[in-house]
Amino acid sequence: MSLSTIAAKAAVAASLALVLTGAGRANEIKGKVSVQGIKSAENIAVYVDAIPDKKFDAPKDHVVIDQRKMAFIQHVVAVQQGTTVDFLNSDPVGHNVYWPSISGNKKLSHNLGTWPKGEKKPFQFNDLGTASLLCNVHPEMSGYVVVVPTPYFAVTDKDGNFEIKNVPAGKYTLKTWSEDGKPTTQAVEVSPTTTTVELTVKK
Amino acid sequence: MKGRVLNTSIMASVAAVVVVMWVMLASVPKTSAIPAFSRKYQTSCTTCHNNYPELNDFGEAFKKNGFKFPKDDETFVKEPPVLLGSKAQKEAFPGAVYPGEIPGSIPIAFRYSGNFNYNAKQPIAAGFLPRTDLFVPNTFTIIGAGSFGPTLSFWVDNDISAGGDNAAAGLGDGYLKFNDLGHAFGLPKDTLNLRMGQFELELPITQARTINLTPYDVYSQASIAPIANAACAMVGSPSGTPCTTNNPLQFGIPQRGIEIGGYPNDGYFIWSLAVVDGANNGPALRNSKDVYARVSQRFNLERDPESRSAVQAAGPTGPHDHTSIRFGAFYYYGRNALNMDNSLFPGFGTVREPFYRVGGDIRFKYRNQLEIYGVGMYGHDQNLLPNAATGAGFIRTSPVTFTGGFAQANYWVYPWMIALLRYDFVNSPTDFFNGASRYDTRNRFSPGIQFLVRANIKLAFEYQHRWERPVTLNNGNTIFFRPNGIVSGIDYVF
Repeated sequence: MSLSTIAAKAAVAASLALVLTGAGRANEIKGKVSVQGIKSAENIAVYVDAIPDKKFDAPKDHVVIDQRKMAFIQHVVAVQQGTTVDFLNSDPVGHNVYWPSISGNKKLSHNLGTWPKGEKKPFQFNDLGTASLLCNVHPEMSGYVVVVPTPYFAVTDKDGNFEIKNVPAGKYTLKTWSEDGKPTTQAVEVSPTTTTVELTVKK
Repeated sequence: MKGRVLNTSIMASVAAVVVVMWVMLASVPKTSAIPAFSRKYQTSCTTCHNNYPELNDFGEAFKKNGFKFPKDDETFVKEPPVLLGSKAQKEAFPGAVYPGEIPGSIPIAFRYSGNFNYNAKQPIAAGFLPRTDLFVPNTFTIIGAGSFGPTLSFWVDNDISAGGDNAAAGLGDGYLKFNDLGHAFGLPKDTLNLRMGQFELELPITQARTINLTPYDVYSQASIAPIANAACAMVGSPSGTPCTTNNPLQFGIPQRGIEIGGYPNDGYFIWSLAVVDGANNGPALRNSKDVYARVSQRFNLERDPESRSAVQAAGPTGPHDHTSIRFGAFYYYGRNALNMDNSLFPGFGTVREPFYRVGGDIRFKYRNQLEIYGVGMYGHDQNLLPNAATGAGFIRTSPVTFTGGFAQANYWVYPWMIALLRYDFVNSPTDFFNGASRYDTRNRFSPGIQFLVRANIKLAFEYQHRWERPVTLNNGNTIFFRPNGIVSGIDYVF
């Protein structure tokens, strides 16, 4: 086999791989969130709202939120309803995790207490809404758990980009939650290929 | 000779009155919370203070560790220090200067505090006192503090202005501290530290970091011999001969000196031994130095064994100060000296009067919600008389003594609302003779409330129900008047 034949076959194989990879990205929502009156488009939760007559099992995998260098990492975490979040303390100083409400409902407030460095404390989030994570000795610490009704969600990167994968084709309502902006709602129709959306979050 | 002694005695009496008035009105330098640390660690004031400037358990541990986090400090520093030589320079020592560091940004913070005063109507015979006085004292303070590396820390605070623009103020604390020197000798951590400069003594309850608007009365107590000479007359001295005790020492004002001390066992045991000038802020008044010693022991009342060994206790609702009780004792000894230049009592030579202060204290703390503490102190100054019979030397007479103390309870209604109840008392027959009070004992009740509007902004209110003071009217009659009042203050740091 000549060198040129090998090169040609390699090119075909590479092209096929690209096509297959592209096929894997189908049924996804890609987009960008722009902001008005807000400092950054980072850490905005984007999710598909509840789908009528469709229920989802609670995920078995736990999500971890760390307390490291006196900060919640990640700052904003979106989870599907029923997800268990493990709160890890990586600091040698005492912390606690509590939220005074979930989306303003103070009956859903909770305080997880204190635990030593290296240990985790789990909590299953069964109520939809946003829990503002606080530490009662380090008020500068804050984090958010955004509990959403479907497994189709993402959190924007520093440029406002997001990507929600494996969304079945269909018509949905896309919603956002952000720390400083108002919620936005936008209808979206997901096709078997990548669907691109542009969202704007205003203060 | 006797006539000259009597003339000087009048001068001494006048001086004593002035000193007493100064003692009554003296304001005590206040240090405070350090926003410079907030900036360095990007953390809130509440990390170290439940009600600034009072320190919580974490703040105490931070201070004792040389203004560093108790564990893994480097991982929390958001403003890295500037190295004054690489760490590897240690290997080159003594062939090179030992490496150190300075804070990455200028570690300066500022504090403003101003009080609004509402005074009881004062008899005009006692002098005019306006019923209200806005923002007095009115103090702007600059504070610098930090560490120069793993074992060196520093603190400087200075009231740049007090009362008004360019008014006299001064240095509060200004010291350099060598931390954990005992490490070199294999001693447990923080067993031995060395501090030098001007600093508040290791007092049972701090005055410099008090949350109160007014100083503790017993900390402001000086020993001044009675003008009325009753105590002197008791030992049969010639009528009109003055007693000599004139000791301006006040416990609550910083001293200049050197201190060794430590807080092994995570600060459960604290010891301090200091040699100081005994002159508070001013220059040394005599050759001898004073000695101050203090020990205290804390007992942890937390049930959870893991919490007991942690800097802060773990609770079901978050970390909090340990429920604990601390007992302590202190002793201060010095020798006051007068007439060194022979101008007060010509020909009599220097009079040296040993004095001491001794006391004990207790402090109970329940989490971040309640603390109750009290201090009791006894003061004793030897009191010598010029020997008028011989015209030279001094003879002993009744000592000038006082007892005093305070008790205080602070209750956190909310993390931002703190109710205070305080009782001060000083039993001083000499002050009674000097006309400071109606009875030997001066009592003061001071309930108050404080609001943390923000972690660095505070509104404080304090009512003062004071002892009765005698006031002589123009017709010669004496009436008694309580200089009660309300003090409210604003206080912010940045």
